[in-house]
Amino acid sequence: MSDIGKVRLRLPSSIKAGDVVQVRCLIIHPMERIERDKAGKIIDKKYNYINKVVVTYLGKTISTFDTTQSVSENPYFAFTLKATDPGPVTVTFHDTLGGKYEGTAQITFG
Amino acid sequence: MTRPIRWLGLILLTAGCTVAANAPDYSSMPRWNTRAIPPARGDIRTEADGRRVAVRYPGWSTKDYAKFRTYAYDDWRPEPSVSRAAMPSGVVGDAKKGRALFLDRQRGPCTGCHLVPGDDVWPAGSVGPDLSTIGDRKLTDAYLYQQLWDPRAVFPLTVMPPWGVQGVFTPEELVHLVAYLQSLHGPAASEKDADRNPFTRSRPVGFGDNLDPTNNPAVLRAESAAALWQARGPKGKACAECHPGGVENVMRGVATRYPRYVPAFNRVMAIEDFLSVHAPDTTGQALAVESAENVTFTMLIKMASNGMPVAVDTSSPQARAALARGRASFVRRVGERNHACSDCHTPDRGANKFLGGRLLGDATGGMTRHFPTWRTSQNDAWDLRRRFQWCMTPLGANMLAADAIEYAELELYLTQFDNGKPMSVPGIRH
Repeated sequence: MSDIGKVRLRLPSSIKAGDVVQVRCLIIHPMERIERDKAGKIIDKKYNYINKVVVTYLGKTISTFDTTQSVSENPYFAFTLKATDPGPVTVTFHDTLGGKYEGTAQITFG
Repeated sequence: MTRPIRWLGLILLTAGCTVAANAPDYSSMPRWNTRAIPPARGDIRTEADGRRVAVRYPGWSTKDYAKFRTYAYDDWRPEPSVSRAAMPSGVVGDAKKGRALFLDRQRGPCTGCHLVPGDDVWPAGSVGPDLSTIGDRKLTDAYLYQQLWDPRAVFPLTVMPPWGVQGVFTPEELVHLVAYLQSLHGPAASEKDADRNPFTRSRPVGFGDNLDPTNNPAVLRAESAAALWQARGPKGKACAECHPGGVENVMRGVATRYPRYVPAFNRVMAIEDFLSVHAPDTTGQALAVESAENVTFTMLIKMASNGMPVAVDTSSPQARAALARGRASFVRRVGERNHACSDCHTPDRGANKFLGGRLLGDATGGMTRHFPTWRTSQNDAWDLRRRFQWCMTPLGANMLAADAIEYAELELYLTQFDNGKPMSVPGIRH
């Protein structure tokens, strides 16, 4: 896919203060799997996959996920958080080749 | 009371035909060599032992229904004639056997349309009347037997298949079914679960926003086709070279006009049909109908028109002729079940009722503008043609090739009900 690292972040359409909301995010990423040669030996190279996902809300890191190669291509993550104040939720994906991809959504009450 | 109403209906029907004055004309249909992938061609293979096997998609039934009428325009067989039959003597009806037959998923199942008592009846449908207490109506055995053998003898416009005439049940089995129906007496037991009863069952709520890629896997799939748009095919050309400016701009509004009559091929074509001839001519890519590439490409092109109203041509002479044939297909009775599309998908018949656990769609409300659609039950994106073919098999009719003219014109007939309504591709459905 051409747009590697494109992050999409979705929040419920209406949120009230104090709600526990589900945050859904999707990233375009190849999540390379281990390859083997004809003899079945693992090919030794630096595989490109997302190994860290960081969630920040109102400027503070609220959660960090360590992920592995077993996660699928173009992975989808969903988690919940308590919406205490209006402000940005940012999800940052880090991959093993140093790539850093970010998506942001605004929590607004109403 | 029913008689005058029936006569009124007949008069209106006759008047309608006179006003429409465009009886379907099949005289100048072109031949079309299918460009679909092998499982989508409706082929029948003869095995070494002489057995005939239908070639269909992996996991689909391979039963050959050659005996029964299809949608093919050159299939001139009439629908089976209405038949009266007397109950065979010398068979003693067994209600228990009858109940097993009533529930048998390899036959009807009768429960697909009718509610009967029992927690193992799941899920019952509501297309036909609730039979929970039919025994109380004191109908004669002969009457019930005739209803099962061929209900058209009593109700000419019924949606119920003539089970005996078509050989789905043997006369002996029908006697057991009659015995079962006569054993159903009230009062009906109260329901433990409101969802068992299709008349009180909650309606499905859908699968959320179909254009949200975190919700509908088909969106990502379609976006991936953007790379294909830029890629050079075997002839050294890419779509983007003749259609520059980005697929979302250059294809904006195009899909709202399909299916349409394409003079170059002298037939009605949907995007899928057109791609299967246009791509080989230009880039050299095959894009065979029902290939994953074709369906994905179709989604990409249709997405460029999302939000725009459907605007298929219904006024040119070719479109009017195609619509007349499409309408005729919609009401044509086909297959072992002798069903028409209109039996399940018009509001005066099955639409908005449950067939088993599935709520039947209403064709007159427009069912096409979200195709190709993600099917959660199939884990795949399907276009309307594969959906048509999927419908054929339980009806007991051999499917046609996915790019058959018959299907294209039926698709046009269905799509004109969507005219003026916004496109929203890819959809997401069960």
